[in-house]
Amino acid sequence: MLPAAEAAVWFDGQSARRQAVEAEVAPDGRALRFGREIWPLERLRRIEGEGLVLALMDEGGDELPHDPARLVLAEGALAGWVRANAPALSRRDVRRGTGRKIAVRVVLAVAALAAILFGFLPRISDVLAEQLPPEQEVAFGKAVVAQIEGLLGGEEPLACDGARGLAALEKMERRLTEGQGLAYDIELSVLDHDMLNAFAAPGGQIVIVRGLLDEAESAEEVAGVLAHEIGHVEARDPVRLAFRAAGSAGILALVFGDVTGGTVIGVLGDHILSASYTREAEAAADAFAFDLLARTGIGTGGLAAFFDRIEAMGGDVPEILSTHPASGSRAEAARGAGGAAGRPVLDEAEWLSLKRICD
Amino acid sequence: MGHEGEAKVGYLGDPAKLFPLALGTGVLGLLTLGVYRFWGKARIRRHVWSKVRLDGDGFEFTGTGLEMFLGFLLSVVVLAIYLAVVQLVLFAVGIRFVLDPQNRLEEFAQGISILLSFVAVLPLMVFAAYRSRRYKLARTRFRGIRLAMENAAGAYTLRAMGYLLLVVLSLGLLWPLMTFRLEAFMTERTWYGTSRFRQGGSWRGLYPAYGHVVAGIVLCLAGAALGIAGGGGFPVFLVIAGLVWAAIGFVVYRVRAFAYLMSHKMLDGGVGFRAMPATGTVIWLYIKGAFIAGLLGGLASAMIFAPLGTMLAGIESASQLVQVEVAVLGAASYLLLLTVFGALGLVFISQPILGHFIGSVTVTGAGALEAVRQRGADGGADAEGFADALDIGGAF
Repeated sequence: MLPAAEAAVWFDGQSARRQAVEAEVAPDGRALRFGREIWPLERLRRIEGEGLVLALMDEGGDELPHDPARLVLAEGALAGWVRANAPALSRRDVRRGTGRKIAVRVVLAVAALAAILFGFLPRISDVLAEQLPPEQEVAFGKAVVAQIEGLLGGEEPLACDGARGLAALEKMERRLTEGQGLAYDIELSVLDHDMLNAFAAPGGQIVIVRGLLDEAESAEEVAGVLAHEIGHVEARDPVRLAFRAAGSAGILALVFGDVTGGTVIGVLGDHILSASYTREAEAAADAFAFDLLARTGIGTGGLAAFFDRIEAMGGDVPEILSTHPASGSRAEAARGAGGAAGRPVLDEAEWLSLKRICD
Repeated sequence: MGHEGEAKVGYLGDPAKLFPLALGTGVLGLLTLGVYRFWGKARIRRHVWSKVRLDGDGFEFTGTGLEMFLGFLLSVVVLAIYLAVVQLVLFAVGIRFVLDPQNRLEEFAQGISILLSFVAVLPLMVFAAYRSRRYKLARTRFRGIRLAMENAAGAYTLRAMGYLLLVVLSLGLLWPLMTFRLEAFMTERTWYGTSRFRQGGSWRGLYPAYGHVVAGIVLCLAGAALGIAGGGGFPVFLVIAGLVWAAIGFVVYRVRAFAYLMSHKMLDGGVGFRAMPATGTVIWLYIKGAFIAGLLGGLASAMIFAPLGTMLAGIESASQLVQVEVAVLGAASYLLLLTVFGALGLVFISQPILGHFIGSVTVTGAGALEAVRQRGADGGADAEGFADALDIGGAF
């Protein structure tokens, strides 16, 4: 039983005139008929609106694959029949070749973003980092360390200040830096947190996180890690990393649809904690460390032992291991670099007070 | 309805229909790391457009999520280059002062560099705002006939920056000049089918609406002058009172400026408009909506975070894996809550206010609409990619 003809409104897509028509189902039951139009059921598409608004699918179409004409049926028997019998009323048609177009655009956009993030930005950040005067780099480094302190502990200051521990740290610093002709005044500090980590901030600030002291079994291991960090400082790696982060933070926020911005230093703190220097930068810092350890008579044995043990632990990797999945080979490299241990860095009592610097 | 007939414009929004749509699309957006937001926006617009009725006929939004997504891909590359360079250069300059300014001069430079980082994106945002309006118009139909706005985003941006400079130099007094000229620029380039819109009236006509803002500015200036002449608490009070006055005055201005500009628009062939939105109603709708959204949002946050709270009870002794899981869950809950608040704001604040503005409009000479003929489709290349990437374009 086909529904009876009903009054409907037709917009012909050519003029804004509203035309009253009489719409009915064609006798064969496979199309809607009104005025001079015959709209086949399988080409009917529903448009959001009051009542049942219909458009005719048309591969040519305009910005949508629809003919611009619209037929508006009031809710009633005819509209109900169309809903029940038109097979693709709510289909969202896409033109042929759309998938290809999407794929091409996505690939191009990702490639362009990658080129910016990994090609263009690093270059320009390096150039800008070179221009930064050392005094400002130091001030910047202090702000970054303060930020990291906030990230780790919240409100209370975390810097450890056991007097005898500080003296031991001072002694280790002198042993590593005195007479080495370093470009930066190295400044060491210890933050009271369980994390096993040590990192270099811009301007010669090197921070040991207490977790590393807990884990280390000798002063030579700590000195080895410090030598590696000094390598980063001397190569200006931290400030370069900071500049890269500043540039990329905005882009990432852009891609994920969040432009809060403004918290560049916050992002930096995070970046430096989980610092990911390039493989080349890590290798250079290692080479620097091996050389420094040999020259100062500390020897590379401590660093090698540290590499071995941390690698065996698995789990969270501190910066020093972050970009080197195969740190077993680094331990070997450290051992191979020779540099026999001479006089110990700290005596037993000093080592113990360094380990207790945060108590 | 005769040839000279008047037609009311109405908005038939229903919170019970919009809320599930807004929340559903928001959650899908979360699950897809933001990719779905384009499709969500298109669905919400299709819904909202269809609720706008003129003389019994609904509007139609024909834009698609796919189109917006592709536009976004295009503009994000352009923006990435621009922002990366601007941000890096400003960072390199700013780092010298931002961290700890040593003296008055450096404090001043710090302020300037922060201001600059904003000014650097401002032309882009203006450009994006024009493109966004153009896209929305190009994808809007009424009675099957397309609307359109000409491609003039560059010229618009230049003018907007010029007027903005005038506004700053005149301490805000020339704001109505900017409002009028920019709106006229867009209106005169807007088409319904083969008929073009015209903007009548003059920029001076906006000053009655701007009175409260002027009063606020004068109060601020008086306070500043007194403050320079001699100290005391009174100048500070004057400045604060002036700021509050200007802020409320600005809301009044926005509403009345809409009324003035809308009432002086014409469409070729004798179609005119009349708009009478009420400032009091707008403010009341805002307060009421914020209250409802706050209440329901509070309930939702209790529901979302209560299970998390019980999990946190034994967290200290839990293994690291469990701690990480709870942290991830916490972050997800937080994002979910933001989504809920976004949907509530859309439904209880944006929609009623939009409804009030739309409902305040009457079209005169609506019979002349029948003479309008169709125009060709506009393939505006980037959809509104810039606007989306810069997160502007308002609620809808």
